[in-house]
Amino acid sequence: MSISSQSSLPAWTGTPSYIADESLQAIVNVAIGLGRPLLVKGEPGTGKTLLAYAVAEGLKLPLLTWHIKSTTRAQDGLYLYDTVARLNDSRFGDNNVRDIAQYIKLGPLGEAFERSQKGERVVLLIDEIDKADIEFPNDLLHELDAMRFTIAETGREIRASLRPIVLITSNAEKELPDAFLRRCVFHYIEFPEETQLARICRVHHPDVDEKLLAAALRRFVQIRAVQDLRKKPTTSELIDWLASLRLSGIDAAKLEATLPFAGVLLKQENDAQRVFRATLPRR
Amino acid sequence: MFEGFHSVLRLAGLKVGVGEWLTVTQALDTGLIGPSLKEFYSTTRALVCRDEADYDKFDQAFAAYFQGAQLPTPVAQMLQSWLDNPLSKPPLSPEELAALPQYDLEQLRKLYEERLKEQTERHDGGSHWIGTGGTSPFGQGGEHPSGMRVGEGASGRGQAIATARARRFRNYRDDVVLDTRQLAVAVRRLRRLERKSRRLELDMPETIRKTAANGGDIEIVERPERRNQARVVLMLDAGGSMDPHVRSVQAFFSAMKQGGGLREVEAFYFHNCVYGEVYSDMALLKKKPLAELTRSVPPNTNLVMVGDAWMAPRELFSPYGSIEYGTTDEVPGIDRLRDLAAAFPKRVWLNPIPENYWGESTIRAVAEVIPMFPMTVEGMVAAVQVLLGRGERVAKRTPKRPWPSPQEIF
Repeated sequence: MSISSQSSLPAWTGTPSYIADESLQAIVNVAIGLGRPLLVKGEPGTGKTLLAYAVAEGLKLPLLTWHIKSTTRAQDGLYLYDTVARLNDSRFGDNNVRDIAQYIKLGPLGEAFERSQKGERVVLLIDEIDKADIEFPNDLLHELDAMRFTIAETGREIRASLRPIVLITSNAEKELPDAFLRRCVFHYIEFPEETQLARICRVHHPDVDEKLLAAALRRFVQIRAVQDLRKKPTTSELIDWLASLRLSGIDAAKLEATLPFAGVLLKQENDAQRVFRATLPRR
Repeated sequence: MFEGFHSVLRLAGLKVGVGEWLTVTQALDTGLIGPSLKEFYSTTRALVCRDEADYDKFDQAFAAYFQGAQLPTPVAQMLQSWLDNPLSKPPLSPEELAALPQYDLEQLRKLYEERLKEQTERHDGGSHWIGTGGTSPFGQGGEHPSGMRVGEGASGRGQAIATARARRFRNYRDDVVLDTRQLAVAVRRLRRLERKSRRLELDMPETIRKTAANGGDIEIVERPERRNQARVVLMLDAGGSMDPHVRSVQAFFSAMKQGGGLREVEAFYFHNCVYGEVYSDMALLKKKPLAELTRSVPPNTNLVMVGDAWMAPRELFSPYGSIEYGTTDEVPGIDRLRDLAAAFPKRVWLNPIPENYWGESTIRAVAEVIPMFPMTVEGMVAAVQVLLGRGERVAKRTPKRPWPSPQEIF
């Protein structure tokens, strides 16, 4: 294929605020090297969306984001032809309604192609692709493969010359079609282990008291191990919880027998009760 | 490089085509994959797996290829399924702990083998069977002081082979019993979108046409939004033999109610088998005659039965078969099921009992009237296909002999 995917990009190694383990680094670099979209799945709060921001930051490339909703169509990502504006202009005689190009607005995918046509490499995040209709990913196949499309209304062709780095996140709400999956590099972000969690916490709370961190992590891991929680607390909730603990100046020893600010971690009444029953000493 | 790994991956059940394998070799050739085995493990996995449900298969294949580990036998898999997602252990006082019988290793092993022979399903929180969270000497996460731990635990991480051997992704296999979210995804496919909503949206083509006809004076045309018109009549077995499956049925129920975005979900309950009346509450107090349900079935209505269909033959085949106090019905249960089947062309039965235990029982007889599927993600997806009229239910095994008539039995 004439579109170059390997350029002089350095290997991605994470960023100071986004800690990626070796396997994730390797996978990101393989996806970039092969010029394939990277499909990322994982529990909420494992940093799927943040990964795109981190890749863009780490490689010093601009980031375009496309947040998918249930009503999003593949066409929206390429371009929109604002017929209503044109109709309106024709009525009041504003602008030159014969110039259709001014009513064409490129979508995120279209913009990524256009910028790369001008020689600028970008990172494109397609966020929560599973929110859209079941057929949505299939409608994108051709454009993602060929990296070009034509605006039917003006006949203008937009053709990427440098493959944009495409990251796609999914929450597994819908199964994605096989043909689409075959073209992606797939990665499932696992929930981080305790040592990794500690590193992440230190990034967000650089001057945290080590004793408090250790005690909080121990409790957090214990809570996540409780069976049948409807919603397990995630990394972002841990970071918030740590912030509340620090603000209120709670002593690390107190975490052994109580669970202050439980509401920050557990958002459902049933879960909270389950955790209290399983982890707090019986009276 | 790595000849044969491709076939091992396929043996483990991964759909690795030539294209995927070429990508792997291309990535290896161009040096995109570094020289470490760990990097090879994670990148190859990213290239050949398409879902986290595939990770477990990949781990098995990886361990088999690089370390000669065995692919698991069916017995080991079954045993492990009883131990997955363990119940939290009950807090016991020292006195209670002391009261439990103590065994030495030899006694323990003998008992274990005997019990394995007798046990046919999963148990949680008990004192006898192999299971989780109980005081039985066998299983995981239990409280027995001299018990035996069954199954693999978490293994050391860091090295790729150790990671593969630990098989941490077993939970994501798609043949395990469902969780709510996955189920909602399956249910969502039942949708029948029609423009019948009260909410309006802009009808662009019509607006343009009307406006043009109007000589350029804009005329806005609106039309109803598309809404899901699919309905579900849910019938749940509230009988005692369903107690072990309460959690999976709950998950299923909430997914149906909330996750599916269906137009209407009506739930009814029955005890073991459907007779002349069903109940609109779980305590089986509020009755509703079955005839009322079958009289007029709105279009796009799907009948979903949930139950183990496991009962004494007389409950299914003989008149006055109900064992529920206060329920008398001269029509045999199987005929009532046939009535239901006639009224609902779109019908399925979901059974929490794994398919290989259905055997030559009342389950088979019920499955002949209402297409039956195991209550797993796979089963649910197949069931939805049948409800959509796109698939045929192919039974794994057909009964070797025809079912006896009631006269033969009684």
